[in-house]
Amino acid sequence: MNIVAMHIPDGYLGPQTYVVFWLVMIPIWFVAARKVKRTLKSRQIPLLALGAAFCFIIMMFNVPVVGGSTGHAVGATLVAIVLGPWAAVIAVSIALAIQCGLFGDGGITAFGANCFNMAVVIPFVGYYLYTLLCGDAPSTSRRSLSAGVAAYVAIVAGAICAGFEFGIQPYIAHTASGQALYAPYKLSVAVPAMALEHMLFFGWVEAFVTAGVVAVLQRTEPGLLEAKPSPRSMRWLWAAVGVLILLTPIGVLAPGTAWGEWSPEEITGRIGYVPSGFEKLGSLWKAAMPDYATPGVSNTLLGYLIAAIVGAALVAGVTWGVGALLARRRGESNIAAPSPPAPAE
Amino acid sequence: MPPAPGRRRHRSFARKTADSIARSITDVLENEELAARPGLLQRIDPRVRLVTLALFAVTVSLVHSVWVLLALIGLTCVFAALSRVGVTAFARKVWLSAGLLAFLIALPSALAWFTPGAVAFTLGPLTFTQPGLMGVATLVARVAAAAGFALLVIWTMRWSDLLRALSALRLPDVVVATLGMAQKQILTLLRTVEQIHLARESRTLTLGTTKENRDWVTERMAFVLRKSMKTADDVYDAMLARGYTGGMPSLRRLRVGMGDWVWLAASVALCAAALAASRMAGG
Repeated sequence: MNIVAMHIPDGYLGPQTYVVFWLVMIPIWFVAARKVKRTLKSRQIPLLALGAAFCFIIMMFNVPVVGGSTGHAVGATLVAIVLGPWAAVIAVSIALAIQCGLFGDGGITAFGANCFNMAVVIPFVGYYLYTLLCGDAPSTSRRSLSAGVAAYVAIVAGAICAGFEFGIQPYIAHTASGQALYAPYKLSVAVPAMALEHMLFFGWVEAFVTAGVVAVLQRTEPGLLEAKPSPRSMRWLWAAVGVLILLTPIGVLAPGTAWGEWSPEEITGRIGYVPSGFEKLGSLWKAAMPDYATPGVSNTLLGYLIAAIVGAALVAGVTWGVGALLARRRGESNIAAPSPPAPAE
Repeated sequence: MPPAPGRRRHRSFARKTADSIARSITDVLENEELAARPGLLQRIDPRVRLVTLALFAVTVSLVHSVWVLLALIGLTCVFAALSRVGVTAFARKVWLSAGLLAFLIALPSALAWFTPGAVAFTLGPLTFTQPGLMGVATLVARVAAAAGFALLVIWTMRWSDLLRALSALRLPDVVVATLGMAQKQILTLLRTVEQIHLARESRTLTLGTTKENRDWVTERMAFVLRKSMKTADDVYDAMLARGYTGGMPSLRRLRVGMGDWVWLAASVALCAAALAASRMAGG
């Protein structure tokens, strides 16, 4: 009953990969359990079980898409919006454990990787993008749109992670004759395949479902959409970014150039000439760090790492700047248009 | 007007959902029935059974020889037969749900475009290579063997036994309790959702537009979410009323007997033999 195209069954990931994901998930579950204990009261513990049950049930709904076709949603962003991201880690992990143990959906050895993709990446990306897009005092339409966009981006991010896990298998486990021992497609195939499938189909299902349910909840049960207390959660977000930066040298494992990112020399090698428009525009911009290499650093791995740190710092800086600008403008508009007086009792 | 003979009637999304939920509920009930049969695996202590089947799953992931993987698939069928779960149904489930899917996913990787190497055969413009085909065979055999051991866990372990085994293996009580509660709630909510969809199906004459149907689905999802959240308090009160103190007491005391030790030793020996054979075969 593999109803969502992101459950990795056993056999597709080698031990070098699934052991790493088990080791990554154990501290995440531990931290999530502590966070949840701190934020939820003891009588709210069944809420987690019910969150897990809801997460499981939402995957059973056939959602009409186009032309009579139907798809399934994961619902992890929705659960993160309602319960908070750390509670969603536990709820989605439990839903995945029940799918694995009761219905055989998703592997036993691949359980850590499945939890990382669906119970960590999707809830965190979805939740923080939703809160970022929602702002402080969102209207129903803004909440709903933010939830849809966040769910779409989050599920694509989860799919890219799964594609990455599949894609590194041929590099780390193959015989001398080149025979793949686990998932057979390299990064250049696995990542675009997983990303496109979710960008074109599953992402839209997830977006429609999350936006729709959030709109209904905003109308009928707005209390469920209140911001969840997570005063120190940004620290963990930064820690996760740090871990991802440290993992970037894995990219050096991939030989060749990503599809569509060829240099003029590689294009000449493939089709025999360089298109005139490409030649003209190709020299228009000279990157400061071409091919993620750091000028003056001869070690490729170190150069990759420095490029990742510089890139992440630039993205964070620009995002912070835009956020600060928007916050200032919102502050000015709030002063210009005071809120209406409360109705007389 | 009934549909014309030989033509399949277009199923509505409500019917599809109701059917898939009914199938899931049936699967759970059938699994419980299979796990209650007096077979080989069912007699083994749940903790030992869980650990050994997980050991086999890990062994499958470490074996690189396609022949050893085929032998392990044979072993899963022997276990299925000795556990009286029906070898035909077992093989059909493993090959149709996991093996066939793995074959369809992996087959294009046998093309020279993805896996260069000595040419095995050509089919029109398509050239299949020997390492590519061996890669496909290895993946399909590995996925089928792993699915076989996973299915043995599902078909020979009652859910309550699995929870008991997890608790005995030092998984925190709160996690085991949450797993147990979630499973019960899933079955309750599955029935609710099935009834919602059957009610919709029975009172709807037309298929409706995609947007109408999608709006209805999201409305129902929100209803299920609200119902889940509101039930939490009642569930906790019911737990307290039945004496819940945070632990997971069990009336059945687990005891590892001589048969369990023999099974454990045999499983470890079989896994070691599989790894040694794979190494000797050059995998």
